[in-house]
Amino acid sequence: MKLLVTASQINGLPVVTVGGGEDVAEVRDVIYDPEAGRLVGLTLNKRGFFSGRRREVLPAEAIHSIGRDAVMIVDESSLTAPEDAPDDIAHPAKERNVIGGDVLTEGGRSLGVVRDLALLVGSAGEVVGYQIEKPAGGHGYIPLPAQLAVSGQALVVPDVTEEFVRDDLVGLGAAVDEFRARLGLR
Amino acid sequence: MSDSFRQATGRKVVSRTSAQDVGTVSHFLVDVKERRIAAVVVGRGKKARLVDWEHVSGFGLDAVMVSDEGAFRSALDDRERSGVDGSLDLVGKRVLTDRGNEVGTLDDVTFDPETGVVQMLRIGDREIPAGSLLGSGSYAVVLDRREEAAP
Repeated sequence: MKLLVTASQINGLPVVTVGGGEDVAEVRDVIYDPEAGRLVGLTLNKRGFFSGRRREVLPAEAIHSIGRDAVMIVDESSLTAPEDAPDDIAHPAKERNVIGGDVLTEGGRSLGVVRDLALLVGSAGEVVGYQIEKPAGGHGYIPLPAQLAVSGQALVVPDVTEEFVRDDLVGLGAAVDEFRARLGLR
Repeated sequence: MSDSFRQATGRKVVSRTSAQDVGTVSHFLVDVKERRIAAVVVGRGKKARLVDWEHVSGFGLDAVMVSDEGAFRSALDDRERSGVDGSLDLVGKRVLTDRGNEVGTLDDVTFDPETGVVQMLRIGDREIPAGSLLGSGSYAVVLDRREEAAP
């Protein structure tokens, strides 16, 4: 059983230092590498209403943990100036290009359109699934294999994914391990 | 022996040399790394001053005795200034684990009045050993993830 959050739930969360207990920033946006299935990092806003963008970014490696209520970092030195950050964060061209993409099984069946990412709570940004809008309407959640083919329009998942479409994050959290075990056996 | 932040707040502070009331306890400044009280804040607002724990000669149930009025000092840096105005108070603060999940609000902190060592943190009915305290600031008290109730 894994505890998950969606990327849109992370947007706006405070970024809090573990040792200092201070909210030094808040999450502006999630930058994601769909091929690697992991976060590249987070862009940030200053704390407080209408206080604007923070120049620094938070690379995934510097994240202590992403939680339901806060993104934890060790201290403020975890924030990185954009010129020192990996190129993917400083110039997030790939940003969100998976959102809106069609999820196709290897057998050529459409499971729906990607609407959001599901991340593992307690990790530094491990993406374990997607929220999809099903062809018939309504939301569902699918688990992700470690790697998959992604283009701007579609992403291809194993056929078995179809058996693991779940109605909510809790269901997906319960299905992730079994899904991965099934793939490992193939 | 044990005392608590909640019980001790408002207790009178008396100078041992002059036997005069010099104010009441308003806040505690905690050294999170050492898990002990670093200083006691006496009085509120502009009159608030700090007494380092070393100058507290007796932390009693009826009064807090300080060596003399020379023991009082003002805040030296931003963190101490926040401590003096109460924004670093542990009691009443949201509690996060280092996983980033909220587990409640800190209701009270118990300490050994002989040494100033923090003993337990109370969240509702739960008593959490001070060893789980990782950090504290104006936004949150941070605990080790072990203190997260199983989902």
